[in-house]
Amino acid sequence: MHNAAVLSPTANMTGSETYRLSVLRDRLWRAALWFCGFIGFLLPVSIISYLVFEGIHRVSWSFLVDYPKGTPLGTQGGIWPAVEGSLALASIGLLVAFPLALGGGLYLSEYGRSQRFNETVRFLVECLAAVPSIIYGLFGYAFLVVFLKFGISLIAGGLVLALIMFPILLIAIQESLRSIDDAYREMGLSLGVTRFYLIRRVLLRKAWRGIVAGIVLAVGHAVGSAAPVLFTASIYFSKGGLGLDRPVMTLPTHLYNLVSEAISFDQAFGTALVLIAGLLIFNASATLLRRLGGGSAQ
Amino acid sequence: MIRHFLAKTLYWSDAAVKKLSFLALGTGVAFLLLMIVFVLRESSLGLGFAMNLFDFLVRQPWAPMATPPSHGIFHAWISTLVVTGLSLGLAIPLGFGIGLFLSEVAPRWVQQVMQPALEVLAGIPAVVYGFFGYVTLVRNFETWFDMPAGECLLIAGLILAVMVLPFVASTAAEAFRGVAQDLREMAYGLGVTQLYVMRRVLFRKALPGLFAAVALGLARALGETLAVLMLAGNTVAVPHSLLDRGQPLTALLTTELGETVVHSDKYQALFASGFILLIVVLGINVMIWTLKHRFLERSHA
Repeated sequence: MHNAAVLSPTANMTGSETYRLSVLRDRLWRAALWFCGFIGFLLPVSIISYLVFEGIHRVSWSFLVDYPKGTPLGTQGGIWPAVEGSLALASIGLLVAFPLALGGGLYLSEYGRSQRFNETVRFLVECLAAVPSIIYGLFGYAFLVVFLKFGISLIAGGLVLALIMFPILLIAIQESLRSIDDAYREMGLSLGVTRFYLIRRVLLRKAWRGIVAGIVLAVGHAVGSAAPVLFTASIYFSKGGLGLDRPVMTLPTHLYNLVSEAISFDQAFGTALVLIAGLLIFNASATLLRRLGGGSAQ
Repeated sequence: MIRHFLAKTLYWSDAAVKKLSFLALGTGVAFLLLMIVFVLRESSLGLGFAMNLFDFLVRQPWAPMATPPSHGIFHAWISTLVVTGLSLGLAIPLGFGIGLFLSEVAPRWVQQVMQPALEVLAGIPAVVYGFFGYVTLVRNFETWFDMPAGECLLIAGLILAVMVLPFVASTAAEAFRGVAQDLREMAYGLGVTQLYVMRRVLFRKALPGLFAAVALGLARALGETLAVLMLAGNTVAVPHSLLDRGQPLTALLTTELGETVVHSDKYQALFASGFILLIVVLGINVMIWTLKHRFLERSHA
């Protein structure tokens, strides 16, 4: 055994040594996977805590509700017009996109009879969800701002965001309706109620958690993205006040301008923290609502 | 009589809801088609353009101010390729590792902590990633590598890797979880190690799902705008190394669109590059769709 030609690293080992080696390799592999998991945990925690640590002393109540001040403009004061603009854009987007997505999701999951048609539409919607947001920005600029002559305005940006939200919402709504047991539908319909009654009184009540999750995802995505509103809705500075035909400031584009024009990194840290904290709080409250809210869990 | 009337109203209101919901669906989907058509229209692509595709993609530089002006996007798609390749090269091994960890190794409570952590990572807006990369990496690169300005393709790729990581990781975890439990049990019953099971059973069975994870990451990375705009340096020179500045396609679009005369040559060139990006991403999406379906069919069989 010991004099045999060495064909492989394990050729001159006894059985128990091979066994020990493979156990060792297995342990190393598991350690490597734990390490991957650890990095996956460390990244978000360290990014968030870095932003909190650097930004927390720059954020105050007056930072939230004040207007940008100083020379150059934005080095002092607050970010209220950006907060206001982001909220208005997201609300318009949601107001337009939600009814469309709800209708679309209901049709696909409850009314549509043709499997082929449903599959095709679902495919198109998933394509729509995958299109990068900068392309929505291009489309919004060419179609809404230039072609329809909306100009760079709240309404143009809101509609672009609606377009971005629509596929996210529709997929969430369709999935949460689809995950409801068919027994509920059969029971309801055999009692002789209409489909609409069934949808209103049974299906939507069972699906609302999934729908809320979809709204959170869509709104979070829309509030955070700067690329689609950069050419359709946003302006460097505004004195506040909203109008559908007027441009607005938004949090992401304000952050981008503060950094790219090197106006003020102090203010940028504050803005980034407000944006992140807003999104996290919004997410957390929706999760809480889903936990505490009435109705049976799926 | 009244009951008959009531039944009729109910029937009609139900039919109306059905029609309305169909209308809503149609409106939403019509916009996808409108978007493709409109971006194509604005780029004025035609037969003449197809002849010039080589000039547009490779030969001409991006020099809109020169006389005569030229609008080639070679530097842009090279930058996009470098940044995307780098980010996927980092995110795929790590993402697959996290996927395996979540589906095979992690105890339940660790999974419950990791899931929201990855969601947070996916939920951070691109502009915040750009800002984060700027204040952490760009400034340090200036001293570490003795660069006059720290922005470069390497930093853009690193940050982009962090951005696509949660998408790759959670899709990979889903793919590994989708492998039937009895296959694992059979393999362990034969007395092989966990490493062996992962390598020879899980990886093979989860392959379509893993491809989908890669494709999803690729589509994300190609279309990412704000972070690469802030970190890659935004110059029109063709990059020669990872520490060079570059201008990915999306950054080119964002930089130039605001100051371009509508329907000028430059405007059309920008929309043509946007259209190319759109087509590539849609192509990737078709690939994901096919993989998913093959995967579903196989797991049902």
